[in-house]
Order: sequence, then structure tokens, then C-alpha cells
Amino acid sequence: MYFIQHIESITHQDSFQKDNIWNDLKPLTGENELISPDYKNYIPVAALRRLSTILRMGITASKACQEKVANEFDSISVGTALGCLTDTEKFLVTINTVSGDILSPTAFIQSTHNTISGQISLDLKNHAYNMTHTQNALSFEVALKDGLLCIDEGKNSVLVGAADEAIPFLERLRGSLIETEHPFTSGATFLVLSGEKGNSIACIQACEVYFTNENKATQVEQFLAANNCSFQDLDLILEAGSDFKSQAKKHYSFLKYSGFYQSASAFAVHMANDWLIKNGDDKTILIVNNLESNKLGLTLIHRNDVEA
Amino acid sequence: MSDLKENLKAQIIEQLNLEDLTPADIQDDAPLFGDDGLGLDSIDALEFIVLLDSNYGIKIADPNEGKEIFQSVNTLAAYISKNQ
Repeated sequence: MYFIQHIESITHQDSFQKDNIWNDLKPLTGENELISPDYKNYIPVAALRRLSTILRMGITASKACQEKVANEFDSISVGTALGCLTDTEKFLVTINTVSGDILSPTAFIQSTHNTISGQISLDLKNHAYNMTHTQNALSFEVALKDGLLCIDEGKNSVLVGAADEAIPFLERLRGSLIETEHPFTSGATFLVLSGEKGNSIACIQACEVYFTNENKATQVEQFLAANNCSFQDLDLILEAGSDFKSQAKKHYSFLKYSGFYQSASAFAVHMANDWLIKNGDDKTILIVNNLESNKLGLTLIHRNDVEA
Repeated sequence: MSDLKENLKAQIIEQLNLEDLTPADIQDDAPLFGDDGLGLDSIDALEFIVLLDSNYGIKIADPNEGKEIFQSVNTLAAYISKNQ
């Protein structure tokens, strides 16, 4: 078991440093803005001026986790689908429009995906293993599996997270490269995992990713069976779409609450953790990340005080 | 020269994202780098090289010159006046 010691999200919901995000959770409309904390409380002003939204969110959520659990992280694993889009766009526009031999270095340095975990490590002054994973819509699940492997290796306090940022250009891809009815949003969720129970309420029982275009219903059934579980045992299904709505006792499409960003299944973990805090009788939650038609990410969340 | 210095201050604020500053906050002779001045760092030094190239057409051939040129707005303005 991998116990969730703490979890923080910065999203278009009022989700940062809240006792329970379900208290204020509402389906998003296109009008909802990112609800940003005062980043100056977490990042020095001199550094803040260079950081785009995705880096501000990631560093702030990570620092909030660090403050809560106090001990230094033994590893940092981050998932991002599209990475630092603001700086990528800025750099590409500069290449296309600026004459001269020299390009501004800041946007280039901060346009790479691995800036995210690297910058978090720098800001936390953490010298342990850090890695940024990018696997489109399964980026978070791959980072999570990395974190679980770190615990299996004997690491005690593991930071896992995901972050993606929206830029206006994404609207031009709607209907062609990106199919979604949901508004494009930004979001970051970071959680601290440990092999020790501590004061945690929920744990990650298992996480699996599937990159093949096979029958999703079969894959879910096999995943549940491998974890001594069935659809009847699930109290809640959190799903990107609604393929498994008819098989669920309770069902929410997490994209209605997170908006569309490819690593939003990380926010579903926050929803699951806080659901188990709020609903004392519920025990098992399945997160189905079927955001992309040919990929599947499955995460099983369990209440700690119940035998799996 | 004073117009050049005011333009430089505005360009420095924009290029380096010094959102909380106005040109009036930057003294002509105040050090740009280090804790006693604006607190700029090595990435900002690279941004200065880009600024001189793109805004004034000046290329710094010897990076070691930067330490002298980028001391303050006064030294920057003097270098631009001499080399433009």
C-alpha cells in the first residue's frame, strides 16, 4: 500500500489548502478562472518574475506539501502532457519574429518539460532523484508509477504530482488535434506518498497504464480482478468520460470539475482522497483515465482502515 | 544621453520582467547585479546581451567585457553611445 500523507491542488476550483475540496466543488463553465494563491508567499519575488503559470503552480503546491509533512522528499516525480506551453510559445514566436543572431535565453531554458521537476527540486533545495514524465494523457499515471516504484525501493517520503497549463492557442486545436467539450484549464496536483500509514486516510492500492487500443471494459475488469476487486466493490468511479457510468454506484466525470488538461486525473486523486474523508462508509474508488481513446490509466484508491 | 537612459530603464524592466519596478526606481549609478542593487543574476546578463543586440545592434564580442558594461545604467548608456 502507498499511503497519501498530504495532497494539494491549484486549479480552477477553490482547491488549494482546503480541508476538503468537495465543500466548494462545482462543475466548471467556460467563465471559471484559475484560482491562484499569492505566489509571493512561496516563491521569492526575484525568481517569480521569470516563472510561468505551470512552474508557479508546481512549485507552490510542492512547497505546501513540504511544509505539511516537514521531512525532506526522497524523490520527486512529476507528470506533464504539454509542459511549459507559455515559454514554448514565447520562444517559438521569438524565433519567427525577431531578427538578429541572438535569442532571449529565459524562454528557451524554461520551455523544456524537465524544467518542472528540476525547478521544484531547486526551490525545495532537494538533491534527491527528480524526474519529469511526459506521456500525453497518461503522464500523471506514469509519474505515479515512478513514485510507487521509489517506495518499493525503500524510499519513505515521495512527492508525486502533475501540472499542465492552458494557453489561448489551444482553442485553435479544438476539434482537430484536441476533441473535448470541456473548457481548457490549467491545474497542478501534488501528493506526498509513503509506505507508512501515518495519519493518512486513503492509499493508492494500484495504478496501471495501457497504451494499446484493446477492449477497455476487459482491461478494467482484469485490473480489478488482479486487485481482488470487482465493479460491485466500487463505491465511486471517477472517470474522464462516461463509459463506465452504468456500472457504478456513484459516478462523476472529473473533467467537469477540473476542466480539460491532459494530466487532470491527478486532480481526480485529490477528489478521491477527500471523498473518502467526507464519506466515512465508502471504501474503494476507481479512477478511470480514458481521456484519450487509445490509452487507459487506472488508479485504485482505498480507505486505509479496511482490508483490501 | 538622459533619453537613452530612460529608454534603457524601460527596456530593462520589460526584458527582465521586473513587474514591480518603474523606471524611477532604477538609479542611474546603482549597481544592477548583486544584493546592493537590483539583484540581477547570470541569466539577466544573457538577457542584456540580447537587449543590446536586438535594440541597438551592438554585439558584445568578448563576454568578459560584460562585467564592466553592465555595472549600472550609466555604464550601459555610455557603452551604447560609444558603439552605436
